[in-house]
Amino acid sequence: MLDPSNLDFKKLGFHAGLEVHHQLKSKRKLFCNCPPILEENPENMDYSFYRYFRPVLGEMGDFDPGMLVEFEKGYKVIYLANERNTCTYDMDETPPFFPDMEMIENGFILAAYFDSSAFAEEIVVNRKQYLDGSITTGFQRTFICARDGWVPVNGKKVRITNVHIEEDAARRVNWENTSNRTVYYNLDRLGIPLTEIITEYTDVDNPEELLETAKQIGRVLRLSKIGRRGSGAARQDVNISITGGDRVELKGVQDLDKFDIMCRHEVVRQHALIEIKKEMLQRGIKKGDFEHTYVDISQFFDTDEKFFATIFPKMKGLFGTEVQPNKDFGIEIFEKSMLITGIPRKDQFHSDENQDGALRINSDHPSDLPMNQETYSKICSVLNPKENDAFIVVKGPEKRALHAMKKIVERVKMALDGVPQETRRFLINGNSEFLRVIHGKDRIYPDTDTPPIVISLDKIKELTKNIGKKPWEVFDELHEKYGFDHQHVDLLIRDEKLEKFIEYTEQLQLDHNLSYKLLVTLPREKRRNNIILTTEIVDKLARVLANKSIFKEQLYLVLDYLVEKPESTEEQLKKKFGLPKRSDEEIGKIIRSKIDKYDLNQIQKFEEYQELVLSKITGEVLKELNYHFEGKVLVEKIRQMIFAKEDG
Amino acid sequence: MSKNGNGEPEGYRGALRERLIKDKIRTWSKVSIKKGDAEYEGLLLPRSQHTDDDYVTLKVDTGYNLGVLIDEDVTIKEIGFHKGNYELPHIDVEFKKDLPNVTLLGTGGTVASRLDYRTGAVLPAFTPDELFSAVPELISTVNLTPKTLYQILSENFKPDYWVKTAEAIAKEIESGANGIVIGHGTDTMCVTGCALSFFLRNLPVPVVLVGSQRSSDRPSSDGPRNILYAAQLSGYENFGEVVIAMHGTPSDSYNLIHRATRCRKMHSARRDTFRTLSDIPLGKIDDTGVTWFKDDISPRKPREDFYLDSKIDTRVGMLYFYPGMNPDLLESMVDLGYHGVVMIGTGLGHVGTDVYPALERCKEEEIPVVMVVEPLYGFAQLRVYETGRDMLARGVIEGENMLPSAAYTKLSWALGHTSNIDEVRDIMLTNIAGEITTREGPRGYMVLQGVEPGIDEMMKNL
Repeated sequence: MLDPSNLDFKKLGFHAGLEVHHQLKSKRKLFCNCPPILEENPENMDYSFYRYFRPVLGEMGDFDPGMLVEFEKGYKVIYLANERNTCTYDMDETPPFFPDMEMIENGFILAAYFDSSAFAEEIVVNRKQYLDGSITTGFQRTFICARDGWVPVNGKKVRITNVHIEEDAARRVNWENTSNRTVYYNLDRLGIPLTEIITEYTDVDNPEELLETAKQIGRVLRLSKIGRRGSGAARQDVNISITGGDRVELKGVQDLDKFDIMCRHEVVRQHALIEIKKEMLQRGIKKGDFEHTYVDISQFFDTDEKFFATIFPKMKGLFGTEVQPNKDFGIEIFEKSMLITGIPRKDQFHSDENQDGALRINSDHPSDLPMNQETYSKICSVLNPKENDAFIVVKGPEKRALHAMKKIVERVKMALDGVPQETRRFLINGNSEFLRVIHGKDRIYPDTDTPPIVISLDKIKELTKNIGKKPWEVFDELHEKYGFDHQHVDLLIRDEKLEKFIEYTEQLQLDHNLSYKLLVTLPREKRRNNIILTTEIVDKLARVLANKSIFKEQLYLVLDYLVEKPESTEEQLKKKFGLPKRSDEEIGKIIRSKIDKYDLNQIQKFEEYQELVLSKITGEVLKELNYHFEGKVLVEKIRQMIFAKEDG
Repeated sequence: MSKNGNGEPEGYRGALRERLIKDKIRTWSKVSIKKGDAEYEGLLLPRSQHTDDDYVTLKVDTGYNLGVLIDEDVTIKEIGFHKGNYELPHIDVEFKKDLPNVTLLGTGGTVASRLDYRTGAVLPAFTPDELFSAVPELISTVNLTPKTLYQILSENFKPDYWVKTAEAIAKEIESGANGIVIGHGTDTMCVTGCALSFFLRNLPVPVVLVGSQRSSDRPSSDGPRNILYAAQLSGYENFGEVVIAMHGTPSDSYNLIHRATRCRKMHSARRDTFRTLSDIPLGKIDDTGVTWFKDDISPRKPREDFYLDSKIDTRVGMLYFYPGMNPDLLESMVDLGYHGVVMIGTGLGHVGTDVYPALERCKEEEIPVVMVVEPLYGFAQLRVYETGRDMLARGVIEGENMLPSAAYTKLSWALGHTSNIDEVRDIMLTNIAGEITTREGPRGYMVLQGVEPGIDEMMKNL
């Protein structure tokens, strides 16, 4: 296996693309009038029901292969639902209501940020099949708003192929046991409007670009104020391939910081699978070598359960090959047979585990079969493996165990093709697990419940004419004008304070750093102490500062007062904090009284001490003046007086 | 779905159609469209009715559809052709000796068919191949012979169709079928069910009406499960009645078996839309089998006793009384030569006093007026209040606790046999097929069948 921390992405032919799913701010769900609110605990429910799903034909008359595998899983799907956020539409007990037009319009506005050239002038609602139970209808209602756009990423264009608006899926409750045939979903999230923004999956060449692409798209959702905020509002699926590999979709990455490890572990996996393929070809293995012959070996185990074994000619050593850190090819195979058939990985065993230092033994998913040397020998006596052969053992109820065996043989045959196109679930340790066969275009067909909606080009022009600057234009401008870096600008955008910033700096003529402090730093600081600064408070502060009714040295003082008494008017603040101007003589007196407390010799001797005293005196004097004095001027005054004193 | 592929831009109209024909663009053409900076590539799909004339519908590479306005500045040209072929895969089915023979008569609806979203027409999935491919479990359950009677939406199911359906059933029974399943749109399933209940005398086999509330082109459709349970019921169970068996709850857990004459569709969209009113359902069926709740169910009768009695008079109408209803509605029915009227009256079965003269006219002309109740639950009882007695005096027939659909079909049937008002009255007041219950237990109103918490527990104890 390659070292994940030391990869040459360019040499490996790494390519990646993103599908960003971001919930939209809305008053209602996309196809019904339920409020888009989530339960704090996804296990909350007022009522429950359950369903089974079947695949249906796509419009071109084909079953989607991915859908057939989903059906094979045979899930019973239990829904938990709450009165306050679900209705009979969410239950698939009533047809959809007219879609939220504002959300459709948002799709076009987003597309304008990406400079999309081809718009859907007539919206056609499509059904995208999902048989995992995540949507009660068995399909997601989704539509294209626009195609062929782009975002700038590190000096190049990453193409945005599609901007979709669609309904969000239900929330899976309890992921722990993936071998369970019963799955649970809470319906609270179902139907919340979502945008899916898809980038061309070959345009990104390394993990850094991938991260920046996700950030650019995220900035658009923030700057446009279309994206819903809060945790879980954004989820990304990443498509990754390397030369000789194939497109693999990694699902459900919420934390962008995980992109790097995810890319690395997937590259390593694809590379390992390619190497396994090469080795298989080297050994002259053909698909026909693997037969669906399952031998009942239950007699060798001291239980009533069923055990089956299958021989895999010339495969010795390959099941034990590491494909991702601490995970061998056997586990990779078993997680797929587990997900489809419900036979846990621990009940599936491969013969490489019997080797000294076998990886699987110390992996996260060791086998649990009662396999000792004696049993192993007995199995061999029945299977008669040749020197270079391997075998696999599965335990479980007969029908399901045989089903698992079938899936294993199919998967091993696929190893000769290298990397299978799959959708995989990203795990916290950077590895991934089989989730489903990649879903294709045959699972999409038009929704008959909503007639096509005409959105003319004129209407699109009208909608998008006022979109303002794009995030990358904003960055260039603020960087050039004020030297702000990406982090600074990102926070302005993320906190949706960019317009205020422009107002403060341009209309109120406030200093840019002070404006930034007012709009970003202070509110964030206060929020950590559970104090929410309202726009009114911040605006009031900005005005009194701009009118020089108070000095910026008084900021915290006035702020604390305003938090206590938010109703205070500008006049009142001026009266309270803007003390009548003291004469120079008065101020001089105050300074002198402070200086006198210090040892002049010491100040003269040590420069550091001098600075310390200077700032200390400044603080004391400012406090006595109720901070109503400009700090810079005061420091100079004090310095002068210290030197004057020295001279004297 | 499109049968062509030979040059027609299907569904397109007006100037755009002319242009497509001129440019030799057909449905399923792969086209390239250039419009300013925008470029579109995709399959030209048939265009559905009631949509804007100037747009084309495209299926793009991702499988999504979208519409593009085609005006003079747009170029559109064919770059390929790929016709979709919407057909379920073929499955070979052999009849097995040990399985019962069940005939499925399709009349339309969406239980084993799909709506053609472009034209709104119903396309049956009633060739055995298609049905077995959609519901493969059927193959090992019964020997099913699907036959298509009609392909109509159930609101178009006229009285003539009841008769033809009954005749088709009789033919299947005479050919030895062990059970009959009728695929029917759910909207008027109860009406057809009531009519069949009166027509099919001494049934030797179960007749199960079934449909779907979610069409079978949806992965969540209730159709497959409904049809499977219907096949099991009709093939194996010992009853000789017309029943409706559909989902009992929003879950795919059990189906309730309703006597057609006591059944009513109570929700426009839910799976568990059907309820037995003023009584409890006959039973339920789930993956463990059938549980019967009632003991007054007619068993299968000897085949030789079976006969068809489908004489009806179709000049029967139904009037829903409402406060402020102008009596001229009833008057005009008399003028138009109706032979019988079912009225849905308020509460116990009342109409406003200004309708009395019209009722008197009906009496004079010997047109039976049968009163059923707007609350749906409970009996018409015209002896309780003065107003009721006034109506009885004007010849109104109390419809007992017949549901409107039962009273309507029964009056057509009664008038098909006699025009003598006293004989009609006798028939209407005699329970023929469970449409009148002699007594009403409290459970018929209280057990809401599938919605209240703990209902599963209650169902177990019925």
